[in-house]
Amino acid sequence: MAELDTAPQRTREGPQAGGRWVGALTRDRRRLIGWAVVMPLIGGLIVFAVYPFIYLIFLSFSDSNLGTLFRGWVGAEHYTDSIGQAKFTSSLLRSIVFALMTTLASVILGVCVALLIDRAVKGRQILRTLILLPLMTPPITVAVMWQLLLMPKGGWLNSFLMDMALFSQPVSFLGSPTMAFPFVCLADVWQWTPFIALMTYAALQTLPEDIYEAAKLDGASGPAMFWSITLPMLAPALLAIAVLKLVIAFKVFDLVFVLTGGGPGQATTVSSFYIYRVAIQQFDIGAAAAQTLMFAVVVGLVTIPFTTAHDFAEKRLS
Amino acid sequence: MTAVRARRFDGGTWLSEAPVDLWTLARWTGTAAVVLFFIFPMIFMLMVSFKTQPDIASGGFIPEEWFWQNYPDAWNSVAVGTYLRNSIVAAALGALVTLVIAVPATHAIVRYRVGGKFLPAFILATYVAPPIVALFPLFFLLRSIGLVNSLFGMALVYGVMNLPVAFWLLSSFVRRLPEELEDAARIDGAGYGSVLFRITIPLLMPGIISTGIICLILAYNEFLLASFLTRSESTQTLPVGLSLYQGDRQLRYGQMSVASLIGIVPVYLLAMFFQRWLIRGLTAGSSR
Repeated sequence: MAELDTAPQRTREGPQAGGRWVGALTRDRRRLIGWAVVMPLIGGLIVFAVYPFIYLIFLSFSDSNLGTLFRGWVGAEHYTDSIGQAKFTSSLLRSIVFALMTTLASVILGVCVALLIDRAVKGRQILRTLILLPLMTPPITVAVMWQLLLMPKGGWLNSFLMDMALFSQPVSFLGSPTMAFPFVCLADVWQWTPFIALMTYAALQTLPEDIYEAAKLDGASGPAMFWSITLPMLAPALLAIAVLKLVIAFKVFDLVFVLTGGGPGQATTVSSFYIYRVAIQQFDIGAAAAQTLMFAVVVGLVTIPFTTAHDFAEKRLS
Repeated sequence: MTAVRARRFDGGTWLSEAPVDLWTLARWTGTAAVVLFFIFPMIFMLMVSFKTQPDIASGGFIPEEWFWQNYPDAWNSVAVGTYLRNSIVAAALGALVTLVIAVPATHAIVRYRVGGKFLPAFILATYVAPPIVALFPLFFLLRSIGLVNSLFGMALVYGVMNLPVAFWLLSSFVRRLPEELEDAARIDGAGYGSVLFRITIPLLMPGIISTGIICLILAYNEFLLASFLTRSESTQTLPVGLSLYQGDRQLRYGQMSVASLIGIVPVYLLAMFFQRWLIRGLTAGSSR
């Protein structure tokens, strides 16, 4: 507001007359105000991300439980113990498999759905609204829906398969060590495919039309155009979407909590759920902290190749 | 009829010489299958909400007789109304906090390059860490300032939680604003504040609405933090309330379905009414 009295003179005098240093002055002021305006955001990130990380580092070297923190220092014991525990390392592996599987499945399915929406003659609007709904559904409710579909007594899938005479006995899909994990993945794919489809659809709209015209004149078929034009040009966008989905998949918690509670046995215990249990049921905050940090490192390590691939694809295209 | 129209459309854009109707047919079946796949779990839950417990166990699709009693029962047996109110308050306040912090900050970072290249990368990096990372430190922090088990505390947590998402969404909207308008206003003597409030924010409104709705829904749907940071009925949110059904020895599927349905009605209405904004917001990142 204080600039009000200086700036009009500047324009009247023209850019030459002292304009430069006034411009520099306002630019400095702007930077200052800019920093002031950004401070709350930085403060928020410090509270939500930086402080927890530092706090966890300290916790992870301490003997702490939910009641009393920092009862003593134990060095790297929590780290070495955790790495030695098959339950923890296998939960890490399960998180990785979950993230990769659901990302792969929902990206493939999402691209198909995006193409369907793109080619839909009518009802595109309705289609987009309908597939938006799974995405809006609270994950807890998604889990409830799939629980109802999959339960052994009265679940739809069981009645359907028995009506088709494929099964004679109801099967507990979520109680089976081999089938529980794929079904948890399926529920996740159900929720997130719409998101990927919408993003892919938006990316499709940015592709230039004339390449397709030219390819068609050369007699290229539909599938050929998809593999040699659409997919390569979509690659950077798809990889960016995949990174986002990977990150989201590592956060999965609600689905496991309701659908299987991590079971049967350890069959669906992903890391975030395992760590939660170590903290809540064994009250071992120190060990949970060490495991959380190792988990975060794993998330980073799995994500990096994808971001690198994304940068590479983007560079190649431009 | 439809096949003919579909074919003409194809001829224009995609499958020039394809023997029609295999493709068209495949596409129609594909679309139907996709719609069915995404809608079916919701419909089934709706059906279960009208079934008696024995009817649920018998496993049909349509209720043998339409049983309405689950609705009043669910409303009376668990505090669905209170949970719903808590969810809406925490999510709406949270989204407000997010916007108040993120809108001016994103504008400054994108337009005036405050924080250079590091700050945007850093903001997005914080989103990568799973929320379990923040859970315990946040709990101890809130406990020390007396904000555990408080809706206000939850709103603050949600407000801060969604900052990276809001930054990511808003930045693509800010980037698309014409820079000339702000420059022109500045040459006419407008200060930082008046450029922001008179020019940038009005022009950014569609982006702000999109971002606000998405943050609202993310907060409304959140479970892990709420389950740990709220302990009593007066502050627990709907996802937490729903999870309590899982503790019952005999799961009341009918009532649980009712409570779930009540919980999704607000978000679905929001999705219907603000469909355009939502899609614009969700896709802002991929079409930059």
